[in-house]
Amino acid sequence: MADFQPATETAPLLRVEHLRVSYQSFESAAVPALRDIDLTIAPGEMVGLVGESGAGKTTLARSIMGLVPRPGRIDSGRIEFRGQVMAELPDEERRAILGRHLAMVIPNPRSELNPVLTVGQQISNVVRAHSKLGAAEARQTALRMLEAVRIPDPGRRLNAYPHELSGGMAQRVVIAVALACEPSFVISDDATSGLDVTVQAQVLELLQDMVRSRGASALFITRDIAITAHFCDRIAIIYAGEIVEIADTAAFFDRPAHPYSIMLLAAFSHSGDLRRRWTRTEIAVNGSAAGCAFAPRCVRRQPRCEAEHPALRTTHSGHAVRCHFPVEG
Amino acid sequence: MAPLLDVQNLVKHFPISGSRKTVQAINGISFTIEKGQTVSLVGESGSGKTTVGRCILGLIDPTGGGIYFNGRKMGRDHNVRHRDVRGRIQLVFQEPAESLSPRVRVADLLAEPLIYQGVTRPDRERRVLEIAARVGLPTGLLEKYPAELSAGLQQRIGIGRAVITRPEIVVLDEPTSALDPTARAEIVDLLIGLQRQMETAYLFISHDLSTVRFISDRVVVLYLGSIVEEGPAATVFATPRHPYSTGLLASVMLPHPSLKPEKRLTLVGEIPSPIDLPPGCPLAGRCPFAEDKCRAAFPPPVALGHGHLVHCINHEKVAAMGAAVDFFGRFQVLADRILGVAPTLEKDTVQ
Repeated sequence: MADFQPATETAPLLRVEHLRVSYQSFESAAVPALRDIDLTIAPGEMVGLVGESGAGKTTLARSIMGLVPRPGRIDSGRIEFRGQVMAELPDEERRAILGRHLAMVIPNPRSELNPVLTVGQQISNVVRAHSKLGAAEARQTALRMLEAVRIPDPGRRLNAYPHELSGGMAQRVVIAVALACEPSFVISDDATSGLDVTVQAQVLELLQDMVRSRGASALFITRDIAITAHFCDRIAIIYAGEIVEIADTAAFFDRPAHPYSIMLLAAFSHSGDLRRRWTRTEIAVNGSAAGCAFAPRCVRRQPRCEAEHPALRTTHSGHAVRCHFPVEG
Repeated sequence: MAPLLDVQNLVKHFPISGSRKTVQAINGISFTIEKGQTVSLVGESGSGKTTVGRCILGLIDPTGGGIYFNGRKMGRDHNVRHRDVRGRIQLVFQEPAESLSPRVRVADLLAEPLIYQGVTRPDRERRVLEIAARVGLPTGLLEKYPAELSAGLQQRIGIGRAVITRPEIVVLDEPTSALDPTARAEIVDLLIGLQRQMETAYLFISHDLSTVRFISDRVVVLYLGSIVEEGPAATVFATPRHPYSTGLLASVMLPHPSLKPEKRLTLVGEIPSPIDLPPGCPLAGRCPFAEDKCRAAFPPPVALGHGHLVHCINHEKVAAMGAAVDFFGRFQVLADRILGVAPTLEKDTVQ
């Protein structure tokens, strides 16, 4: 981490503008998954994206990779990576970027690793697809990566199949695969949720060290807001396909401004009183389409929230908040 | 009076086919649960938590030791068979969606345990309505199928099914780990409320330490099938004395940047294989304090007062490291300050 230098260039590495993605359906109108997402990530920056299941976290990750699964569709907006608009690139050029410069660490390592290839083969395959290295050199790289992710006895593990690894080790292998080509941007999609706390802490530190030591950036997607407090520079909260709050980590946790952010944090409190104060028990059946998406669950709901959709605006404490009545302490 | 549940020197070894080796899942553990009390089993995957729960439920037979329910030994060859206590010891599963039949409506899912108790149909219908209200399932949902509900509501069905027979003890095997944090908090509140009303005892099996700290009266820390530390939840979390418990608690992350996991206390490596365990303390290979004595024999318990027991010869050294990090306590203070602002708007700020 000592050799980590904050980037001097101002151009963001990743820029997502007005991104809208929806899932088409035969039976009903298209279901919006992402509604007007704006997000920029600078070189060397780690951004945490936090939200509940169904908020659109994975859809955003897949949109950036250009891998929105059918029947999903990018309706509008643009995604720029290193100044290039991803969607405008020919497939071949995009494939050259994915895995080489832009990599993703996926959850459920055991189901996502190929069960009939050894760990060494899976890492070498990625390396060889993106470089001119020969088999022996690619194998050396695989060995180096296994050492880097601190897998004990890496020489022997090169020949191991995924089922022979524990969950923690398999997750490290997935990290090794993702980082083998030294990508400049890493997306981690809920990569540690199935692991024990002890292993989770080790895996996250490792990911952070590897990203930082190469001056790379990361988008760190999770539903556990606690993790982001320790591994991210900025926090973005996503609710129903919209970013509702985005702020620097210290500022965010010291003074969360959106009622939803506070509700997420209050879930960790042992004071039932504190939690109930921020959780609406009688949830309105349907929010109005015109209003704030969070209004039905919001304890601060006012008539204006149901009538008018709030824009993302900056409060005087420096947070960008999508709320008509943010909490300003 | 005998405790509600008394687990004595429980041993469970699984044979490995084609080998004379065994998986030593549980290696002689003892603990008790009193009426209306919550005891939590914590430890990493592979520590034997779920196996203990399955032995208590009679789903598998222990290799050695005994499980006593209201003072009477349970098991195939003993005076209480598990069939006799059916409905008095119940189970809640980790994955609500996977533990509920997708083709059965919510009302029938809730009523199912009562059928096996010979409860008549009118009584079943009455009790389904009563339990649905208790676990917070609106009656409008009773005609729906589980897939139509959120994970939090599905877990309410799982809990409703367990408590509808008015059990004396419920084994909760990771009931909250598949849920979002907000849904998790609601389920924990529900469990606490049900316990107050029904005086049910819980055996709470979880690696979610934040929830454990919150719900438990007593905590039992397992490592490779042995109890390394146990005691009142508040005491163990504030002043852990075993190197393993200390490492486990130091790895916990709470949502504030000032509560960084303590690197000098965290455990390195992963839990080793429970096949052919060497004698002595199972942590010896990962423990910074390990000495020859640790590898010779498993340390006997040291009583630290108030029912706090630790199996470690070096527990004083652990204490001297200032292991009392108590992130949970510190987070509660922070939460009160940061989240303690008034949630509702003052009239003059409303436009």
